[in-house]
Amino acid sequence: MLMYVYLGLILFLLIFVLKDMFREKNLLAQIDAALVVVPLILRLLLIK
Amino acid sequence: MKIEVKKSWLSAIILLALSACAIVYLATQFLSMREKEPIYPGPGVTEIKMLSDWYPALKDTAGDTEVYVLKGEKEGNSMLVLGGTHGNEPSGLVGAILLIENAVPKEGTLYVIPRTNASGLTATDPQEGAPMRFTIETPGGERWFRFGSRATNPVNQWPDPEIYVHATSGQRLSGSETRNINRAYPGRTDGTFTEKVAYGVTQLIKTENIDITVDLHEASPEYPTINTIVAHQRAAELGAQALLNMQLEGMSIGLEPSPENLHGLTHRELGDYTDTLALLMETSNPSQGRLRGRTDADLVVTGKDKFYVKAAQLGRLYDYGYGESGRSISERVARHVTGVAQFAVAFNEMGLGSIVIDGIPAYDDMVADIGPYLIPKT
Repeated sequence: MLMYVYLGLILFLLIFVLKDMFREKNLLAQIDAALVVVPLILRLLLIK
Repeated sequence: MKIEVKKSWLSAIILLALSACAIVYLATQFLSMREKEPIYPGPGVTEIKMLSDWYPALKDTAGDTEVYVLKGEKEGNSMLVLGGTHGNEPSGLVGAILLIENAVPKEGTLYVIPRTNASGLTATDPQEGAPMRFTIETPGGERWFRFGSRATNPVNQWPDPEIYVHATSGQRLSGSETRNINRAYPGRTDGTFTEKVAYGVTQLIKTENIDITVDLHEASPEYPTINTIVAHQRAAELGAQALLNMQLEGMSIGLEPSPENLHGLTHRELGDYTDTLALLMETSNPSQGRLRGRTDADLVVTGKDKFYVKAAQLGRLYDYGYGESGRSISERVARHVTGVAQFAVAFNEMGLGSIVIDGIPAYDDMVADIGPYLIPKT
């Protein structure tokens, strides 16, 4: 059960990171966001 | 620093495409760790079952694992060998596989689980720089084996609690130990993923009336409990008798009692909660030590590390004979396999019953090279 709560938190965070990535005007901040989504998606897909 | 972009949606899409490429590459790498090394059942194997045959709730989960049954021509007693309890202690996995491919019981039944915590073999420990696999040369070609984690893959059990409370004793340990199957015995049906796998092993022992259980481990050369047998109090005499036989074969090995207040381990809980004679073996493995230098597949196989040589010269190791020749996987596997053979011999010598196992190579031959006993079959 805790695992699903945890995955829900990751999804929540991922949505906001992606949303911010599209709104952000600073390229460096966008690159930061692009890096952050990699481990989030790998964990969300239960790959790592 | 700021680099302004006018079309933020365009740069976001380009960066996301790059992220997708990284995700595909990394996912391929991580998913490749779920591939199991091939095992070629030897002439002694009469049946391959799954742990879920004893605990059906494990079926179709990452905790289910193969149980190789080697039944002798004559009725007799039974022994269970647990390999792959900790994925970063490879001689347990390889020793179990060598038994599956070579042992031929004549009396009694040998059960072998090569990947006791199968989930732990699908990941490596973070920040250890450990290889994902290693290879052993055989006369029939190179053969690969998985190098894994001490604990269950977090993909199968997460998050860890701050403190892990062992269910039956109330013992409190570090939270990460909640994924260590050798702190989860005897296991429980309403517990964590790892506790359920441990419960499956306990059920196997109870259902099949396993007389002897041997759990194969490794530890760092600087750790006191190495090159030794750890025995539950009911198995102490058996351990002592086998130890004499192993020493006669030229092996330097000790015997330690299972601490009564250290809970969750096979040598404690399986002895307390079942009728089996529970024993655990430890060899010395530089590839999991804290003093090691470069960590790669070569270190796993040869056990040669210049920093451990220096530590040995300074008298800082419990592995007293460590030197330039290292601690090869051949020697470490030879110790485990010979231990299993000698527990059976000692069991017979003590008049406890009958387990006769043929086909196990001589200790010196295995120390020289285990390759000839692991030839892949086509």
